[in-house]
Amino acid sequence: MKCEIKGSQAFSYLEIELAPGETIITESDAMSSMDAGLDLTAKFNGGFFKGLLRKYIGGESLFINHFTNNTQRACRMTVVQGTPGELRSRTLDNDVFYVQPGAFLARTPGVTMGLEWAGLVSFIAREGLFRLKFSGTGEVFYGAYGALLEREIDGEYIVDSSHLVAYEPGITLKLQLAGGIFSSFFGGEGLVTRVQGKGKIIIQSRSITGLAGWLNPKFW
Amino acid sequence: MKVELINRPGNTAAKITLQPGEHCTAESGAMIAMSGHMNITTSTHKKNSGGILKAAKRLLSGESFFLNHFDSVGKEGEVWLGSNLAGDMLALDLDNENLIVQSGSFLACEDSIDMDMGWQGFKSLLSGESMFWLNLKGRGKVVLSSFGAIYPIEVNGDYIVDTGHIVAFNETLNFTITKAGSSWLQSLLGGEGLVCKFSGRGTVWCQSHNPNSFGHALTPSLRVRKA
Amino acid sequence: MQDNHFNVILTGDLRDGIDLSAAISSLAAMFKTSEEKIQQTIAKAPVSVKSNVEAATAEKFKTAIEQCGFVCVIKAVSETVAATAPVSAPLPVPVNQDVLASASEIVESPASFKGLSYKIEGRPDYSFLTVQIPANQTLKVEASAMATMDTHLVMKTKLKGGFGRFLTGESLFLNEFTAERAAGEIGLAPGTPGDLFHQYLDGQTIFLQNSAFVAATMDVTLETKWQGMLKGFFSGESFFLIRCSGKGDLWFNSYGAIIEIDVEDDYVVDTSNIVAFTDGLEYNITRVGGYKSLFFSGEGFVCRFTGKGKVWIQTRSAQAFTSWAHFFRPV
Repeated sequence: MKCEIKGSQAFSYLEIELAPGETIITESDAMSSMDAGLDLTAKFNGGFFKGLLRKYIGGESLFINHFTNNTQRACRMTVVQGTPGELRSRTLDNDVFYVQPGAFLARTPGVTMGLEWAGLVSFIAREGLFRLKFSGTGEVFYGAYGALLEREIDGEYIVDSSHLVAYEPGITLKLQLAGGIFSSFFGGEGLVTRVQGKGKIIIQSRSITGLAGWLNPKFW
Repeated sequence: MKVELINRPGNTAAKITLQPGEHCTAESGAMIAMSGHMNITTSTHKKNSGGILKAAKRLLSGESFFLNHFDSVGKEGEVWLGSNLAGDMLALDLDNENLIVQSGSFLACEDSIDMDMGWQGFKSLLSGESMFWLNLKGRGKVVLSSFGAIYPIEVNGDYIVDTGHIVAFNETLNFTITKAGSSWLQSLLGGEGLVCKFSGRGTVWCQSHNPNSFGHALTPSLRVRKA
Repeated sequence: MQDNHFNVILTGDLRDGIDLSAAISSLAAMFKTSEEKIQQTIAKAPVSVKSNVEAATAEKFKTAIEQCGFVCVIKAVSETVAATAPVSAPLPVPVNQDVLASASEIVESPASFKGLSYKIEGRPDYSFLTVQIPANQTLKVEASAMATMDTHLVMKTKLKGGFGRFLTGESLFLNEFTAERAAGEIGLAPGTPGDLFHQYLDGQTIFLQNSAFVAATMDVTLETKWQGMLKGFFSGESFFLIRCSGKGDLWFNSYGAIIEIDVEDDYVVDTSNIVAFTDGLEYNITRVGGYKSLFFSGEGFVCRFTGKGKVWIQTRSAQAFTSWAHFFRPV
């Protein structure tokens, strides 16, 4: 399998070349173009009940697509997320990586996706009640609106809610007010997430909430 | 006419440099900035061709009724053009070939290009694109815009493009509306639904992102529309 | 206007008598990234490590990179458009485009620089600004632009600019972030998808379009300026501009990418594409072409700048995006 992320940070898209017999698993409706020789199988996102759970609580779709190359030649396809923004990949080698619901795009068959309770903190911070846990060996592709930036955390750091995309297992989340009560309310910051521990976090440089905040006053 | 695309593919702008006597036709509202001595005229049609009927057809295809013509008086001049949404642009040199362009993707062209509406049949309705497509032919430069990055696919045989991702394609290609997988059920369950299948030999230019998907992702955060 | 934007291209060749690993490690130190990433970048050479910058900045980067030991060339943006497009050659799994993303688009404050040290990542479509605030200093920031910060920064919300600011459509409030006792960093992400631009003010004045302000140091004075009824009405934007003067750092943002235009005699800009302009330029709201164009060109009124100075324009207009997004509003 050959994978390449193209289109820069603004409009990242993933180009995959599947060799005969290979399979890639993608989020529902992520395919934008493909060789007509590829076969698509829609499967429950981890079984019927888990699938339902993921759809209604985890912000993911009920079905997940398996694209398989059953031909004798290499086939190309293009996969993309619904919003503009950057895509990244993470190589797993029997380790764990946490991704916010909605940020998952595709994975190789050796990677398992699980849904995990992320705590009430995560929910209040508008990051969702659950988080996606990826484990196993292979590649995970994820993305979000905006450019993705990596920050190395050792100690504590504050991230505004709805900017966190993914993090390593060494990280825990806590919640706090950005300033005093007055500032937090009028300063537009409100609640922020306090990130603790040691490891990498991935943040998005724009958020849909921020975009809406800019757009909404402009509507007539 | 010289075309330079700046800042691809995020928020591309086209810088068009015109020598005295050269003309450039652009979609209305596309001008961002220009030299002080550029001349702009507005009409419903391209210089010396067509008329109100073509304009009406253009309107049906989702393009605007009016077109702007730029020309530089006395000395070299420049015009910057942008599109409505964020995204990429594509500059092509046509050599007496026919290019079929998705409505809304046309940005500008040289004087020598002929523009008309094409009818791709009722299947267009299902394709998530407009019913009418723009037919560009002649010899000269054409600038197209898109939502997302533009990538070309050389089709030789069959190739599937999801609806809402087509920017333009060669007239030598044919498309049909079909399913993404081997079965309709799988295709629908997988959220892919209907897709366009291109067959023949030629190039199809795709846009990486679907503006409707982005719009629907925004919906929950936007202010409720009154009335 | 000349093509005054350049890309700095790493050719991948070493300068004479330089050791590869030493050069890589010094380059990694300069870009504050890992040696591994630099190696991947070099492998893709020729590669643009810095795009769309002014000649002076490009020259600075070239000098800095050559000090690290690599051969570097500067090309005008127009020449390299074609060359930079196929920059990512096919790679086997695993893929990573971060190499390019992090190395190519980061703008950092030059070493010899009077203002605060800063970094802009994610350029030019989703620019993200990180500013290092020295101990006990304060930064004025547009409300709700803060995305990340060190835990010891203290935020205070101030009512700013009074009624004028209220009318500009900006938030009435500005946040002031103070690095108490020790230096700290703050990451800023405006809501608008687009670029960020830095300007060090040393007595000169810049006018900003009403929503373009992002951050400034305390010695920069921000005032709202009434444009006049006619200009305000026809500009389609706002009756107000923000006048920035004083001494210190100023950061402003755009919707879409920013193009800097040196006005020599006169230049026409669509009113919704103006981001900022320098003092010394006169501007008038005029129509383009004849009366037919006024109503049907889709351009309506434009802003005609005369004199000598700089205008920063954005490649997209908020109005167009707003009318598109309107159809996706919940009913």
